[in-house]
Amino acid sequence: MSRLEAKKPSLCKSEPLTTERVRTTLSVLKRIVTSCYGPSGRLKQLHNGFGGYVCTTSQSSALLSHLLVTHPILKILTTSVQNHVSSFSDCGLFTAILCCNLIENVQGLGLTPTTVIRLNKHLLSLCISYLKSETCGCRIPVDFSSTQILLCLVRSILTSKPACMLTRKETEHVSALILRAFLLTIPENAEGHIILGKSLIVPLKDQRVIDSIVLPGILIEMSEVQLMRLLPIKKSTALKVALFCTTLSGDISDTGEGTVVVSYGVSLENAVLDQLLNLGRQLVSDHVDLVLCQKVIHPSLKQFLNMHRVIAIDRIGVTLMEPLTKMTGTQPIGSLGSISPNSYGSVKDVCTAKFGSKHFFHLIPNEATICSLLLCNRNDTAWDELKLTCQTALHVLQLTLKEPWALLGGGCTETHLAAYIRHKTHKDPESILKDDECTQTELQLIAEAFCSALESVVGSLEHDGGEILTDMKYGHLWSVQADSPCVANWQDLLSQCGCGLYNSQEELSWSFLRSTHHPFVPQTCLPHEAVGSASNLTLDCLTAKLSGLQVAVETANLILDLSYVIEDKN
Amino acid sequence: MLSSMAAAGSVKAALQVAEVLEAIVSCCVGPEGRQVLCTKPTGEVLLSRNGGRLLEALHLQHPIARMIVDCVSSHLKTTGDGAKTFIIFLCHLLRGLHAITDREKDPLMYENIQTHGRHWKNCCQWKFISQALVTFQTQILDGIMDQYLSRHFLSIFSSAKERTLCRSSLELLLEAYFCGRVGRNNHKFISQLMCDYFFKCMTCKSGIDVFELVDDYFVELNVGVTGLPVSDSRIIAGLVLQKDFSVYCPADGDIRMVIVTETIQPLFSTSGSEFILNSEAQFQTSQFWIMEKTKAIMKHLRRQNVKLLLSSVKQPDLVIYYAGVNGISVVECLSSEEVSLIRRIIDPSPFVPPQAFSQCEISNTALVKFCKPLILRSKRYVHLGLIGTCTFIPHCVVLCGPVQGLIEQHENALHGAFKMLRQLFKDLDLNYVTQTSDQNGTSSLFLYKNSGESYQAPDTGKGSIQRPYQDTVVENKDELEKTQTYLKVHSNLVISDVELETYISYSTPTDTFQTDETLKCLSLERNRLTDDYEPLLKNNSTAYSTRGNNRIDISYENLQATNITRKGSMLPVSCKLQNMGTSQSYLSSSMPAGCVLPVGGNFEILLHYYLLNYAKKCHQSEETMVSMIIANALLGIPRALYKSKTGKYSFPHIYIRAVHALQTNQPLVSSQTGLESVTGKYQLLTSVLQCLTKILTIDLVITVKRHPQKVHNQDSEDEL
Repeated sequence: MSRLEAKKPSLCKSEPLTTERVRTTLSVLKRIVTSCYGPSGRLKQLHNGFGGYVCTTSQSSALLSHLLVTHPILKILTTSVQNHVSSFSDCGLFTAILCCNLIENVQGLGLTPTTVIRLNKHLLSLCISYLKSETCGCRIPVDFSSTQILLCLVRSILTSKPACMLTRKETEHVSALILRAFLLTIPENAEGHIILGKSLIVPLKDQRVIDSIVLPGILIEMSEVQLMRLLPIKKSTALKVALFCTTLSGDISDTGEGTVVVSYGVSLENAVLDQLLNLGRQLVSDHVDLVLCQKVIHPSLKQFLNMHRVIAIDRIGVTLMEPLTKMTGTQPIGSLGSISPNSYGSVKDVCTAKFGSKHFFHLIPNEATICSLLLCNRNDTAWDELKLTCQTALHVLQLTLKEPWALLGGGCTETHLAAYIRHKTHKDPESILKDDECTQTELQLIAEAFCSALESVVGSLEHDGGEILTDMKYGHLWSVQADSPCVANWQDLLSQCGCGLYNSQEELSWSFLRSTHHPFVPQTCLPHEAVGSASNLTLDCLTAKLSGLQVAVETANLILDLSYVIEDKN
Repeated sequence: MLSSMAAAGSVKAALQVAEVLEAIVSCCVGPEGRQVLCTKPTGEVLLSRNGGRLLEALHLQHPIARMIVDCVSSHLKTTGDGAKTFIIFLCHLLRGLHAITDREKDPLMYENIQTHGRHWKNCCQWKFISQALVTFQTQILDGIMDQYLSRHFLSIFSSAKERTLCRSSLELLLEAYFCGRVGRNNHKFISQLMCDYFFKCMTCKSGIDVFELVDDYFVELNVGVTGLPVSDSRIIAGLVLQKDFSVYCPADGDIRMVIVTETIQPLFSTSGSEFILNSEAQFQTSQFWIMEKTKAIMKHLRRQNVKLLLSSVKQPDLVIYYAGVNGISVVECLSSEEVSLIRRIIDPSPFVPPQAFSQCEISNTALVKFCKPLILRSKRYVHLGLIGTCTFIPHCVVLCGPVQGLIEQHENALHGAFKMLRQLFKDLDLNYVTQTSDQNGTSSLFLYKNSGESYQAPDTGKGSIQRPYQDTVVENKDELEKTQTYLKVHSNLVISDVELETYISYSTPTDTFQTDETLKCLSLERNRLTDDYEPLLKNNSTAYSTRGNNRIDISYENLQATNITRKGSMLPVSCKLQNMGTSQSYLSSSMPAGCVLPVGGNFEILLHYYLLNYAKKCHQSEETMVSMIIANALLGIPRALYKSKTGKYSFPHIYIRAVHALQTNQPLVSSQTGLESVTGKYQLLTSVLQCLTKILTIDLVITVKRHPQKVHNQDSEDEL
């Protein structure tokens, strides 16, 4: 009867953004995400009151997936950030903060949502076309022939995740490992269409980070006893591999919908075992050296194979099947007889290895596009954070391979972009407005809201009470320590801008980021020599940031456009 | 007494309900409308500007509200558009009806309507109005559409004969549609996407069947990808199946494909049969046979050049393995919709019946251009380059958006657009009743046309009416005697009729523009009305002789009812009069497919104008009243659309300009670009009138507090 219960009426609220409750919850969320942002961001400890796992993080993906958001508007915001992160891995916090800022800044301006949305969209397309244009002053080309810029990119990602708890030396080590792992996945002689391989991250907890290592090929974890039982193979040529996806345990497969009547005295188990042993004989006669099975191998077959000096490893699991297929070049076998000779693959060598307390069976490939990254960290939470960071970095490198550009990090892109937008809207408002019904005043208001939203994103990089300045030539970000004496001579206090491209020895003039200043033309067209000389840049992924920017503005527009919220109370 | 109170209450209650709904939907109507966020009980969030979806999400409890929502959803199911307009229009209609009852209770107005007031107060007033509504909808509306509105229609086709569609007009139509459906920062993009999709899928031979195909299988023809900006949405050639390959073997050139619905591998026993195993050897032989058989089938497939196997069931490992060995890609677990879509696209379908394998006879293979994995945001899909038939070239829409809710909104909007186009491409049959023969049809048309001028020159108007009258008298001498007697009777009625006309025009001053006009012409109308009766009556009797009996009976029922409401005291006479005199000619005509009008309330203003003219001319008080109420309620829609506009684009300006243009026979100028389907508007109008009729026929709402199931049953009975 409970299913026939009449539905409860929904709750319908108009103009949701004007209510105090929504504003409060939005500002709480904003405080949470802002405080996490950047290398000096504060960590959040998330734990369930009912016990279990405690997560210490400052990453948007971990943070948002653990937060329980109930208000529908917040849900829209967090899901859109989560969706962005799951497709681009990076720039989640940036997206979340920018979105919150955009919503907050236009409230109280007294403009209609239509105007705000229309102008936001214009400003967004202005940003996108600038960041994609040749004249863009805040992006640099990525040179894949040297590791310098790639290392900078990876390092920037690692340093922006303080919950990994890495020292400077460890950061360098892990950055190099990640880059190496990524380079191993690129096929050596690829023509035209490149299919990247895969880096498998193997957990190795309670070890020093410095002990992390990258190995070509696949590591299969085994107990010491099992490993001892495997006989060493000494063979100069490559080893022949058979990979089974079907069970070799002797189960009788699907017999159809009808009934099967077995006469007394007939043992199907024996019949199947015979079949398995026949299979074993075929494998032996085909000179297979290594038999891998996704599921279980019958002990008798295992023993038979061992007797014939064939290594048999079972229970590999479905996750390793695809990399194994790729690496060995086998066709996963689903048959218990008449195996086509084309189905066999090969590996260069196998060996056993011990890392920390764990034992591994290591398959070394002929041509590696599959590699294993043995990742160590001191404790579970730090390891989880490091693993997420490594995945992010690997993904960012893949995205960079597709679009070989990087944006200046450390907040310089945002301040530069804000300066560009300010200048553009002051100098040439007609070209932005075109035939729209919006007035210039409206444009100025919204542009100011948009730019200050961008600037307060980078403002939240500073958590220790320091000041943030911007220079009037490049529009880059400079930060001053909190306890520095207030002097007129900024040049002595500042050393480098946020991304590390410029130093204060140049004749620059600075002003506080939050203060009002006249719009100026930020220098466009980055000179090549400037990029070449700088060795320690902070960089951001262009693809991820562009999408983050788009998603933030689109989501903010979506939320500003809401006139009613209907909550289903069933 | 009780029932009448309840009846009066029901309009009031319905109005209250409708006003609440109107408040919600009016925020997202038109190009300036905003979004509404709905949460599902599962916690998912959904964005919507779709009126139907909003109304359903509210889970309303009020029985009348539920009835309205049901009417809206059944309307949406066929047309895919107009839920918000439905509510606004219904609300204005109810307001108009409510205003009449209010006025009755007003002591100042009481004198004017004294003669009728008595009657209105009789218990059945709402029922009569609802019957008048039915009459209007079934007999009058189509006529007005056909005779007056149709001359303003534009066609979406660049050449009506071949029904060729030019891109620019489709763009105008779709832009206007999506304006009211998706968020304003995306509507241009989505309408372009839809337009591209449309022209990519269509061939020169495509007809309405393509819309049906896309409408039926829209879910299979689009893929949603979250986490990407909306602008990444695109159209890709071929079909995308939302699953990965079980085996993928890269293949070029001539790729043949088969579809199977059962496992290829032979099994020990089929359903209903028994397999007896007598020895171990027998088991091994059978297993061996199965293996060899599977191998043979797959080899055979390869010889047929089959490189792709689509299966609606999961295939055993053995099949997958031999497929891989033979270079055949396999996709398993296709849904039945996917299978039937593929079978509809490809003709003849490459479907292999189960028994074909045992005989190794596979003849039905189909050619595909390519078959490859498609990666969208790190999820893998199967991408098939199906070669379509001559009417449909398969394409898929990839919809991107930051959140699922937004993607769903776009998906629904696109689906709705196809529904709308499907309706637009159909001819619409119009059936209506005229009370005059052909001759007078033209003369009354003349009257309408010149209704503006006839005030200045009433004499010419008179003349033109009287001439055909005299002609018919001569032609129908045998009927003459009867008619003349009724004419005498009728002359008594005329005065009160004019009074009623006065009352109506006073009683509907909800709209200031229209009232002025009615008042102006009132004195002249008095003259014309008396004249008008004669030719009409005469001709009714003329047509009578040629009518079948059964039809007249049907119409008679309605008319009798309306007569009762009109004049209680004269009931027997007028009833008899109608019985004899009301013979009507049933006309049917059709509105060609592809009729459109410019957006921005053009349809409503036009219909409003012609209905007012009609109301001035017609003689039955109910008909006049119903026409007036509908005409005034229609204006509520453009008024809502222009709500936020000021100055030259405000509603009063638009309205005055439109009416002036109509009076001087100039073309209407629309301030907005964009077109909308006339069929959609027409269907909306009829659906609303049906809904209103339903509401009016209810006199009591009885709340039953019992088990929900029982309550539910009762509801459904009420709704039916």
